Amino acid sequence: MDGGRLLDLCNDVLTRARRAGADEAEAVAGWRRGVDTRIENGDIHTVETSEETVIGLRVMISGSVGFTTANGLESSTLDACVEEAVGQARITPPDANTGLPPACETTAIERLHDPRIAAIDVTSTTAMATRMIERIRERDARVRIDSGGVSAGESTVALATTTGNSHHEAGTSCGGHLFGMAVDGDEVASFDYDGESTRDFDRIDAALEEMTDRFANKCLSGLGSGSGQSFNGSVVLSPEAVAEFLLPNLIGAICSDAVRKGRSPLAGRVGESIAVPGFTLIDDGTIPGGIASSAFDREGVPTRRMTLIDSGVLTTYLYNHYEAQFAGDGQFSTGHASGSASSLPGIGPNALEVAAGTTPAAELAAGSDPVVWVGRFSGSTNGVTGDFSGVVKNGFLIGNGERRPIRETMIAGNLFEALRNIEAISAERRLLGGSALLPSMRIGGISVTAG
Amino acid sequence: MSNESLEVLERAIDSEDGFVELRYHDKVSRSVGVEKGRVERTQYRRRSGVGVRVLDAGGWGFASTSDLEVTAVKRAIDAARAAARAGAGSRREKTAELAKVELARGEFEIDGFDEIMDRPLEEKIDVASRLEQMTRGSSSSVQTASCGYNEIIEQKSIVTTDGAAASFRLARPELRIQAVAERDGRLSTGSESIGATGGWDCLFRGGSGDVFAEKAARTATDLLSAPLPEGGRATVILAPSIVGLLVHEAIGHTVEADFVQAGSVAAGKIGTQVASELVTLCDSGRSEFHDGAGGSIPVDDEGVIAGNTTIIENGRLVSYLHNRESAARFGVMPTGNARAWEYSDQPLIRMRNTYLVPGTTTLEEMIATTDDGYLLDGPRNGQADATGEFMFGVQEARRIRNGKLAELVRGVTITGIAFEVMQTVDAVSDSFHWDLGSGYCGKGQPAKVDAGGPYIRCRALLGGEQ
Repeated sequence: MDGGRLLDLCNDVLTRARRAGADEAEAVAGWRRGVDTRIENGDIHTVETSEETVIGLRVMISGSVGFTTANGLESSTLDACVEEAVGQARITPPDANTGLPPACETTAIERLHDPRIAAIDVTSTTAMATRMIERIRERDARVRIDSGGVSAGESTVALATTTGNSHHEAGTSCGGHLFGMAVDGDEVASFDYDGESTRDFDRIDAALEEMTDRFANKCLSGLGSGSGQSFNGSVVLSPEAVAEFLLPNLIGAICSDAVRKGRSPLAGRVGESIAVPGFTLIDDGTIPGGIASSAFDREGVPTRRMTLIDSGVLTTYLYNHYEAQFAGDGQFSTGHASGSASSLPGIGPNALEVAAGTTPAAELAAGSDPVVWVGRFSGSTNGVTGDFSGVVKNGFLIGNGERRPIRETMIAGNLFEALRNIEAISAERRLLGGSALLPSMRIGGISVTAG
Repeated sequence: MSNESLEVLERAIDSEDGFVELRYHDKVSRSVGVEKGRVERTQYRRRSGVGVRVLDAGGWGFASTSDLEVTAVKRAIDAARAAARAGAGSRREKTAELAKVELARGEFEIDGFDEIMDRPLEEKIDVASRLEQMTRGSSSSVQTASCGYNEIIEQKSIVTTDGAAASFRLARPELRIQAVAERDGRLSTGSESIGATGGWDCLFRGGSGDVFAEKAARTATDLLSAPLPEGGRATVILAPSIVGLLVHEAIGHTVEADFVQAGSVAAGKIGTQVASELVTLCDSGRSEFHDGAGGSIPVDDEGVIAGNTTIIENGRLVSYLHNRESAARFGVMPTGNARAWEYSDQPLIRMRNTYLVPGTTTLEEMIATTDDGYLLDGPRNGQADATGEFMFGVQEARRIRNGKLAELVRGVTITGIAFEVMQTVDAVSDSFHWDLGSGYCGKGQPAKVDAGGPYIRCRALLGGEQ
């Protein structure tokens, strides 16, 4: 849907909200049209087309907030949305920090929308999915695809507020994913997964081929796994493990709502060293053509490139408008209001990047002491304490010139201590899912328990 | 709305050829969150529309529309049919037929819908605020607390060209409480959560919210001084909450027929002994033993009446979980496990209420006859693998020494190969609890599920210090 039309819808909802008694209001609308070919059990299964518009309305009355979202555009649906949101705002307790950001200027980000991707149809996604299946079959019949698929779509988001924000942005993307395992006779290896998404039409085929090959390699590497070894020492986290295990819990502690709620062990630590000097973490929502890029956040505030941890020193927390108001001292939103038309604004990063280190990835596990290489981490981390414990997946025990796959091996430790025990960061980095640029990392002081 | 939606679907499907399935799904989600004395959110989300599946030329097509006009539904049928034809040519194994079964007709309802709908929002905010305040005030060590109340209210109608014409409605309330305690710079957490299919009487059937508030605060405080466990293989008594997670994650997923076809560890094992003879495992659309299990459905999203399926009987694998397509392929009856999260989602094979059948031993006898082990309760999260290898975080782990409960330890995670662990079960208690009603299962799309059972004793690997 055209961004102007979507913005008209938002302004219509704002008018209704004002009429119903809202002091301030924010309307966000999201439209998406997509095609998808789903793979099941190594075969094309279901082919899908979809289109939907969702509207989200946040209203404020005397400092109290109400929020509703719905997927209908009929006048009666919009009125019901307004009535529900205003009704909520009339009974929830007021909060002095409630409000909406002032009008912001935004700069359009290049290469987010490509009409060639918008034109991809189900015949094309089915052909791409078929090529993925055939590529796996030709590579090694032991690799089984449990599920997967290829999808392409076009989306538009629009946002209007009574404080003067009025933005819209269109985007397209195409991607694929595979989930499955290797089966060799009676031996079933661990699940594995890979996925890729891009806004670059000319990169689609190559991106899907690379993703398919990575998936096959990961599945096959799990065959022949045996017992590991118990010790206290070093592990190497793959870029996937850094993305799925290390960063989410670290980011959770940097979000300002966690600080306000007493849930962050990094409260009061801005300006202090929290990690080794070699660790630098950046967030950037402005990368041209980036999957996670957007000119503005969930509240209409411009995104930006920010260094969150600079050479081990925590430089800032992430703020949305409410948390910035609560923090005071002239703090303004950092453009990290997360979410969509379907939800109230939260807080989250856009596209994370860990600065490259100096150690070649192949040398991270060099040496005579045993090291566990962690492809994935299947476990639990207490975001408040940082304690983690879980099973190593797609893991290897490396030492004395040997590298063998392992199973039933657990690692345990504390995330925030681990940041101080980073021993090496790889010089090579990988772009995961088109949005996170990450190296591998060797971390010491980890308890490894083998079954 | 059910009668009206059923009528629209029946008019839209009239005169369609081949197999067409229409599912109207109106889903309302309401959420209230209170943390550290502040109402953090009240939000209301409504998503409704019709999901259309067409089987044409041996291929499946899916489309959806948020418009409940007959003409809009007919357009979605055309789109799904075109998609089915676009994919059918690339499909190696065409779907020839679906399993024949007597499909549901008429209206079905699980109690609680009207009660949850009619209960005013003020009351829901008051309950969440009071419990958060109570949790925070339970101990001077508790520095922050949160309480979240969520409810999902659903109405569905399912119509197929081969005879289904059913409607149902249900409500699923949930409550979550968390306490964060602090002492000398060290933090710990305690969490309690409950969920049900039904009204508030079902939600609070295990005790009032006050009980859960006090327990969350006590756990957070007690864990402040708890040491980490020593890692290694150990004898463990699993509480119903952990048993539920184990049977859902580590066994239930491996017997979903789509996953069996892909080569899960349960493939080809029907009729073989896969667990101790003390183990009988079921998955039911009904709430067995006690009312209110969180994954209850009267009819699945293909119009199949959701009964009770025995998966493992006295240790022997006897059934997988099926939709109509996989049942035809395996030559068995469908088990009513086809479920879709929202109208725009395709039905997948999903569990409902998965449980271990109680035995004859008491928990006290199990503890008294354990020389060295752990009593594990309160899952933090869990994942399992194609191999049946599982990993669960545990909130409360108490040492057992010489037949008596001893000190609490923190940060416990257990792992093992599910079918190997189930072979080591040597005691099953006579009690039963549904204890995963606030849980969501993820498989590309969420599903509300429940799981539970008795206490069991077995051997597993504990993660800890080396």
